[in-house]
Amino acid sequence: MKALQKVAAMAISAVCVVSMAACGGTGSSSKATSLTYPSIKLGDTGKDITASIKLFSNRTDMTQASYSGKNWKAYIADFNKMYPNIKVTIETSTNYDSDALTRIQSKDWGDIMLIPAVDSTELSNYFIPYGTYSAMNKVVNFAAVQQYDNTVYGVSGGGDAGGVVYNKAIFKEAGITKLPKTPSQFIADLKLIKEKTSATPLYTNYAAGWTMGAWDAYIGGNATGNADYMTSILPHTKDPFSNPHDGTHAYNVYKILYDAVADKLTEDDYSTTDWEGSKSQMNQGKIATMVLGSWAVQQIQAAGDHADDIGYMPFPISIKGKQYAAPGGGYAYGINKNSSSDNQEAAMIFVKWLTEKSKFAYNEGGLPVAKSEKKLPALFSEFNDVTFLEGKPVSKDESDLFNDLNTDSELAINSGGASRVQAIVEAAATKSKAFNEIMNEWNDKWNAALKTENVDIKYTTVQK
Amino acid sequence: MQDNPWFEKGEEMTAATKGVVDLPDTIPVNRQPRNWRKAGIIVAFCAIPVTILVVFTYFPFASMVGYSFFRMKYIGPREWVGLQNYIDVFSRPGTLSSLKLSLYYMVGAILQVVVALYLSTVLAFKVRGGNVFKAIYFFPYLINGIAVGFIFKFFFTRGFVFDTVLQWCGFQLNQLPYWLRDQAINNWSLVGASIWRYLGQTVILFIGSIMSIDQSLYEAAEIDGANKFQQFLHIILPGIKTILVLNIILSITGSLSAFEGPYVITSGANGTATLFVLMDRLAHVNQKVGLASAMAIVLLLIILVFAILQQVFFKFVFRDAGDGVAEARKKAKRMQRQRNRVAVKRTSVFRNGSRIGKERSVK
Repeated sequence: MKALQKVAAMAISAVCVVSMAACGGTGSSSKATSLTYPSIKLGDTGKDITASIKLFSNRTDMTQASYSGKNWKAYIADFNKMYPNIKVTIETSTNYDSDALTRIQSKDWGDIMLIPAVDSTELSNYFIPYGTYSAMNKVVNFAAVQQYDNTVYGVSGGGDAGGVVYNKAIFKEAGITKLPKTPSQFIADLKLIKEKTSATPLYTNYAAGWTMGAWDAYIGGNATGNADYMTSILPHTKDPFSNPHDGTHAYNVYKILYDAVADKLTEDDYSTTDWEGSKSQMNQGKIATMVLGSWAVQQIQAAGDHADDIGYMPFPISIKGKQYAAPGGGYAYGINKNSSSDNQEAAMIFVKWLTEKSKFAYNEGGLPVAKSEKKLPALFSEFNDVTFLEGKPVSKDESDLFNDLNTDSELAINSGGASRVQAIVEAAATKSKAFNEIMNEWNDKWNAALKTENVDIKYTTVQK
Repeated sequence: MQDNPWFEKGEEMTAATKGVVDLPDTIPVNRQPRNWRKAGIIVAFCAIPVTILVVFTYFPFASMVGYSFFRMKYIGPREWVGLQNYIDVFSRPGTLSSLKLSLYYMVGAILQVVVALYLSTVLAFKVRGGNVFKAIYFFPYLINGIAVGFIFKFFFTRGFVFDTVLQWCGFQLNQLPYWLRDQAINNWSLVGASIWRYLGQTVILFIGSIMSIDQSLYEAAEIDGANKFQQFLHIILPGIKTILVLNIILSITGSLSAFEGPYVITSGANGTATLFVLMDRLAHVNQKVGLASAMAIVLLLIILVFAILQQVFFKFVFRDAGDGVAEARKKAKRMQRQRNRVAVKRTSVFRNGSRIGKERSVK
């Protein structure tokens, strides 16, 4: 009996040791760094730090030596010229957002991660602050992306302006000389392409899912001309998906997709589209347009020999005759609250270096993050007449309102709501539902969520 | 050691065996029936798998049961809502209707078992190249489910593998349906992929159990003039009863929780979202973790009910099957009891002693 007890006790203690080991490395959490992002002078601050930091990223392609652009290894080599004592390792995941959300709870995930879908009230439980909003806003763009109560917790990796990737050669072949500025012009151009060329006018990339969710990115500033539409107007809008009858707002963004599918201007079999293959198809001139963020341009250019044919145009919606682009900050780098203070400082230096010295955003076709950098990547050459909007930070009380509404309504706007946008394609192809019917369903869900959250309704898109 | 309850039992048993082997009293009875070192090794070996099971299965399951009573995201505050999540599972549109998709997979599961039974019966006998076929059937099961998904994505793509093969058979491309686009058949396409993957596993299980049937039974049956089908029906089928039931239960519960196919091939779009895919979407996209946990538990209960129903059903179906020993024993017992009763009735009360004594003598 005693021996049994001994064995049991040993087994239990072994389990405890293992589980303790799993929680190791968190002991140093009490001492956070007081360093702030604006105060860092690259090449001067933290020269004496010796640390080994880990970045958790979504860019799996950049880990490969065959990557067409500059890969992680090259960036880190450049960084080590300035800071030879800070060792950086990169870990990536193709299922990033979901993996990051799971890992973040372990506290021991590394030092820098791209902040996943964390409520802004929760940011301070996981990440250290970079500085106040007013101070950060002077040195970086998109400072409002991950902030709470006037404190910034994330520095964006590169800005993204909502537009449409297109193949210039096909547009030329179809005889289109002026880029479309309204949904009806765009549909007319797609019809022209179908008529005069053999290319697929609009490739939906339905099967990949997330490529469909990309449509959500255009319903904010692009379709309304208001930089703060998503954060301060939409959460107070009843029936946000109704037709405003002026060719703007969410209704007309999704209507482009519905009409294109209903008029057979998209690929034949949407259920078996292939994202990796579509990049080279577009490069070779078999696809005319894809509705994706500007980050996609660089990848499509790299997918074949016709890089010069690939262009980026503003989203075809005009508000009172004017086109807008609402640059989004995209993923932002957050620094682990539970790392040692040396690692935190090293991590912040690395983030600042990535932002200001590495030309990362420029190389990846994104809008610059550092205020000091004015140069836009070449792909924004069509954006001369477009007004770039800049959003204000959300007020403290409403910081999570949009996220809560998103969860309650299950619409998952801008956060993986692919199945909702896929349903538009299905309905349009099978003629099972009219477009207004779909929009009314979304309205009902959104309105119900407004009620659950007790929101005071200030706006509506329904015309009186 | 003295108050160990097993000790008594051990002694009793040695006493019982004593009678048979007739051990002399001088041989000491084993006073220490438990070998503690052996027990320690057993416990030590069990500790690792049991710990893994508890830490990675039971503990997460217990926390999931806990989650199902909260309105919560992965991170952030939780709000106790009691049974509201369970009420929502049954009242929301689309949740239970997604279970209807399982019917497709159940039809597929039955088809799979029937085909597997046929193939394994053929392969269990000496067939030329039998091992090669076994390997061919089993191979898909070895491929990772996600990889299978990608294979079938290309397989069903318009004008790709499947369409090309059918065109060789004389079909025209414009006569062929869109395998994944057409909502009337896309679920059948997915079921086909699932059958392809799991058929091999079922076949191997069947072959294994068919091989364990005594060969002399076939010879005896042949001498009695039974044809192959009769042999199958009366020898093989009852012989593999346990594995057959197991296979059917595995495939039916598997079809209730179908996930990989619809998740990878169609990402649950176009009316192919099974309950599992829906659950994944609610938990990971919409972050309704509590609701998704409640759905998982409801699904678990449904699967349990199905498993129990199937057990009952097969007990009924196979009530006459078996090697007959148990039945014969039962019958013999019944007849013996009958005989006793008759004997007791016939004996006169006064002759040859008491009634009880008479009864005992018959026994």
